[in-house]
Amino acid sequence: MIARRDVLRACAASLALASTGCGRRARPERRDGRIVVTFWYAYGDLVRRVLLELVARFNAGQSRVLVEAVHQGDYFECLAKLRTGIAAGAAPTLSHVVCEVVPYLARAGVLEELDGYEGARALPFVTALGQRGAFDGGDDQPLVSIPFNRSTPIAFCNARQLDEAHVEPPRTWDELAHDAGLLTRRAAGGETRWGYEVPIGWWYWVAMVGQAGGRLVEPDGRVTLGGEAGEKAVRFWQRLVHVDRVMRPPPGRDYQAWQSSMESFLEGRIAMLWSSTAFLRYIEDNARFPVVAAPLPRDVRASVPTGGTMFVLLRGAPDEEKQAAWEFVRWMCDAEQTIAWSTRTGYMPVTRPAVERLVERGWYARHPNDRVAYDQLASVDPWPWTTDLLRIERDVVEPRLEDAVLTGRDAHELMDEARDDAARPA
Amino acid sequence: MKESRARYHAVLALACIAAAAWLLPYAWMVVTSFKTLPEIVAHPAAPLPEHLDTGAYREVFATLPVARYMGVTIFMAVAIATAQIALALPAGYALAKLRFAGKRFAFGVVLACLLVPAQATFVPIFLLFAKARLVDTMTALVLPFAASALGTFLVRQALASVPDEIVEAARMDGASEWTIIYRILAPMLKPTLVSLFLVSFVFHYNDYFWPLVMTTDDAVRTLPLGVALLREQGTGVRWHIVMAGNVVLSLPVLALFALAQKHLVRAVSARS
Amino acid sequence: MNPRARWHPWGMLAPTLALLAVFFILPIGVAAYESLYSWDLLTPPRYVGTANYRAISAHGELLHIALRTLGYSAIVVTGTMALGLALALLLDRPGRFFAFVRASVFSAYVVSWVAVALLWMWMLDGNAGVAGKLLRAVGAPSVSLLGDPRWALPTLAVVGVWKLTGYSMIVFLAGLQSVPRSLLEAAALDGAGAWARFRHVTMPLLAPTAAFVATTSLVTSFQAFDVVRIMTQGGPARATELFVYAIYEQIFLNLSVGRASALTVVFFVLLLAVAGLQLRVWRSRAGDAR
Repeated sequence: MIARRDVLRACAASLALASTGCGRRARPERRDGRIVVTFWYAYGDLVRRVLLELVARFNAGQSRVLVEAVHQGDYFECLAKLRTGIAAGAAPTLSHVVCEVVPYLARAGVLEELDGYEGARALPFVTALGQRGAFDGGDDQPLVSIPFNRSTPIAFCNARQLDEAHVEPPRTWDELAHDAGLLTRRAAGGETRWGYEVPIGWWYWVAMVGQAGGRLVEPDGRVTLGGEAGEKAVRFWQRLVHVDRVMRPPPGRDYQAWQSSMESFLEGRIAMLWSSTAFLRYIEDNARFPVVAAPLPRDVRASVPTGGTMFVLLRGAPDEEKQAAWEFVRWMCDAEQTIAWSTRTGYMPVTRPAVERLVERGWYARHPNDRVAYDQLASVDPWPWTTDLLRIERDVVEPRLEDAVLTGRDAHELMDEARDDAARPA
Repeated sequence: MKESRARYHAVLALACIAAAAWLLPYAWMVVTSFKTLPEIVAHPAAPLPEHLDTGAYREVFATLPVARYMGVTIFMAVAIATAQIALALPAGYALAKLRFAGKRFAFGVVLACLLVPAQATFVPIFLLFAKARLVDTMTALVLPFAASALGTFLVRQALASVPDEIVEAARMDGASEWTIIYRILAPMLKPTLVSLFLVSFVFHYNDYFWPLVMTTDDAVRTLPLGVALLREQGTGVRWHIVMAGNVVLSLPVLALFALAQKHLVRAVSARS
Repeated sequence: MNPRARWHPWGMLAPTLALLAVFFILPIGVAAYESLYSWDLLTPPRYVGTANYRAISAHGELLHIALRTLGYSAIVVTGTMALGLALALLLDRPGRFFAFVRASVFSAYVVSWVAVALLWMWMLDGNAGVAGKLLRAVGAPSVSLLGDPRWALPTLAVVGVWKLTGYSMIVFLAGLQSVPRSLLEAAALDGAGAWARFRHVTMPLLAPTAAFVATTSLVTSFQAFDVVRIMTQGGPARATELFVYAIYEQIFLNLSVGRASALTVVFFVLLLAVAGLQLRVWRSRAGDAR
C-alpha cells in the first residue's frame, strides 16, 4: 500500500529536483566564488584523458574560473545535443563542433562573435587550421570559431606487410589499387587480409573529390558535389570493393566504421588504412608492428580536407561565463598546451609558435609520422562557407555513398539524385 | 497421458538448448567484463579470462558517475510508478464505480491513449518542453508518464470486480471518497498495484528512448544513457569496459526480477 | 453508484485526463501543424505547405521506411510467436528445472534494450565477435552481419526475437492454463496423438491468446528504436532506418522539425491502423471471456 504521505513526499521531491533545472541561463553560475564554465566535449579514451588532464591543470592554475567538462559521445552526438540544447535554452557556454556546421550555426546567430575578445584577432594560428584558412571566405565572416582538435585524413601503413610485399606507400590512385592487390591475401578459412580499407564516409570522399579535381560548391554557389570528380571517387571505391576485391567497406556507420577499421588494422588484418591524424598516437601505441604514415595519394592533384573541431562560445550564455570561457580557450591556444594536446594525441598543433617550438625540439625529426601529417597541410582544400554544408553531408551525401559502395548502385544516378536533394530547401 | 521416457529426454534436451540460448549471452557478457584489453585483442573468443581482472569495472566507475546516474534513474522510475498509481486509483474508481454523464467519452479517451506510444509524440513534446525551458529536467522525464492509460485501465478493470457494497458500507460509515479510494480500495487491489508498480519501474529504469531525447547534458542523465556512452568513444571499442557497464546496468533489474518474478510475470500475462 | 457530489467523477479524472490530453492528444495536433512549416529550431519557421510530405516521399524514402519497419515487425512477430508458443508448450511442465528455464527466457524481456543491444553488438562484432567465429567454424561464408545491407535488418530482428520471445512465451503459458486438462485427457482416451491434441484442442483454445500476442508484439516492434540507435544508427546504406529512428534523425541530427513532424503524422496514421486492428481483437477477446 502506498500511504498518502509518501505520495506527497515523492511529488514534493520531484518538484524540488525539477526546479533546479529551470532558468539557469539567467545568471552566471558560480561555485566557491569561481565562475563555472560548462564545456561539452566529444570523444573518449586517450583523447578524453588528455583533455581532462588539461582542464584539470587549467582549473588548478587559477582561482577565478572553473571549467566543467561534460562528455557527450561522439562528434555528431555532441552536435545533436548542442543544437537541441540551444533550442531548449539548455546549452553550455563552450563546446566544440565539426567545421562543416560552423557556417550554419553562425548564420543562425547562436555563436558568440569573438572579434572583440581580448587578443582574438591576433592569435597566431596555422593558416589552414584557423577559421581564416579553413573556409573559403572564412576571413570575411565575423570570427566565431577557434581551432581546437584539428586533423586531416592520412594513410597508415603496416610497414611489416608492405615490406613483405616489397611495396612503398602509394602516391597515386593507380598505385593504391595496384598495391592493395599485392597486399590482399585470401585465406582458405574465409579470413581475408585486405590490402586497403577506409570508412565509407563523407570526409574521405571529399578528399577524393579534391584529388580528382572537383569541388563541392562552385564559386557561384551552385552545389555540384564535385560533378564528374564526385562520381569518379565513388566509382573508384566501387571498383576496389566489387571488381578488384582488395578493399573491405568497414561495418557500421559513422565512427563505428572508423573504430572497426582501426581495430582491424591493429590486428594486422588490413595493410593500408585511411584514417584521421587524430589517431596517430593511439595507433602507434597499440600496434604490434611498425606503422608508417603517408600522405593520401593524388589523382589529378593532391588534396585533403581538414577535419576535427573548432571551439565555439554560445551566444546565449551570460557575459561573465563567456569571458571566463574565453580565458580557457586562450589558455588552450598557448604553445605549451597546444604542444601537449597535439603531441599526445596526434591532432595538429594549431598555432605557429607551437610548431616552431616543436621543430626546435627536434620533435618532427624524431617523429616522421607527425611530420607527414604536418606537411600534408600544404594540400588542404578549404571548406566552402555554405550554411547547408552539414545537411548536405549527413542527409544528402553520406547515405548515398554507403548505398553506392555497398550495393553497387550506379554512381551517376546516385549523385544526380544527391544534387537534386541538395538543391531542395531543408 | 504419460510421456514416454524417450520423449521426456528429448524435452529435457530442448529445454537445455533454450536455457543455453538465453543464458550463454549473459555468461559471455560477464566473462568479457573480467578480461583485459590485450586478452580481447589477442583471443577474443577465449571462453574464460586468464584471471579475474576487475580493471574494466574500475574504469566504468572512473569514467561514469555510476552512483549519481543510478540515483537519477531509480528516482525517476520510482516517481513515475508512484504517480501512475496515485493518479490511476481515483480515475479508475470514477470509471468503474460512479455514474455520470460523459463516462463513455472519458473511458474512450483513456483507451485511445493506450494506443499512442511515446515514440509517436516525442517530437511535439520536445518542442513544448523546449519552449517551457523544461528540457533536461526531471519534470521532462517524469511528467509525460505520470498518468498512465494502461494503469487507469487496469485499475478500472480490477475495481469493477470489487462489490459496490463495500463502497456503500464505507460511505455509510462516513468515510470520505479519498479514504475509500486510498485507504479501503487500494489495499484490496494490492496485487494489481504491486504488479503495476513493478512493471512501470522496470520499464522506466530500462528506458533509453525518452531520457535520450529529453536530456541534453548530464544534469539528469540516466544510467542506460551513460552505459550506451561507454561505446561512443571514437577510438577502438573496449568491449570489456562496455560489458562491465552492461553488468552494472543489468544487475539491479535482474536481482529485482529474481525477487519479484511472480509479480512481474503476472503483470505481463494479466494484460492478456 | 451515484457520485456524492456532481463534480467528483470529473475531479477524480481531472489529473489523468489533463495529463493524457497534454501528452498524448495535443502532440498529434502540434505535429500536424509543424509538419506544414520548415523549421530548424534556431531560425524562424517558414510556412511551406505540403513540401515536407513531398520531401519525405521523394525517391521512395517514406515507402522504404514503412516497408523496412513492416519487414522488421514481420520477422519479430512471427519469430517471437513461433518460438514463444514452442517454448510455452515445451516448458509448461512442473519442476524447478523448467521454472528456471522459463525464467531464463523471460529475463531477456526484463533487461534493458541498451544492455541487450550492446551485448549482441559485441557478439556480432565483425572482427572479434563470437558469432562470426561460430559461423565460420560451421563453414558459413564470412559475412559481416551488421555491415551488410542485406543482413543488417534481419539481424536486428533476430535480436528483437531474442529479447521479446520471453514475453510471448509468458502470455502463451497463461493461455495454456485455460486449456482444461480434462479435455486433453478425453482426447487422449479417444486415441488422439500429441499432434492431433495440439491441433484440435489446444490450438483453437489458444487462438485468442495468439491474436493478442500478435497485435501487442506488432505494436511493440513498430516502435523499435533503441536497437537501431545503438547497433546500426540506421545504416548501412539506410538498411535499418526504421520509422522512429528516421523521425529521431530528422529532428535531432538534421534539425528538420518539419520533416520530423510530417513523418510523425504518417507514423501516427499507421499506428492508428494497427491500433484499430488491435481494438477489434481485444473486443472479440473480451466477448469470448464473458
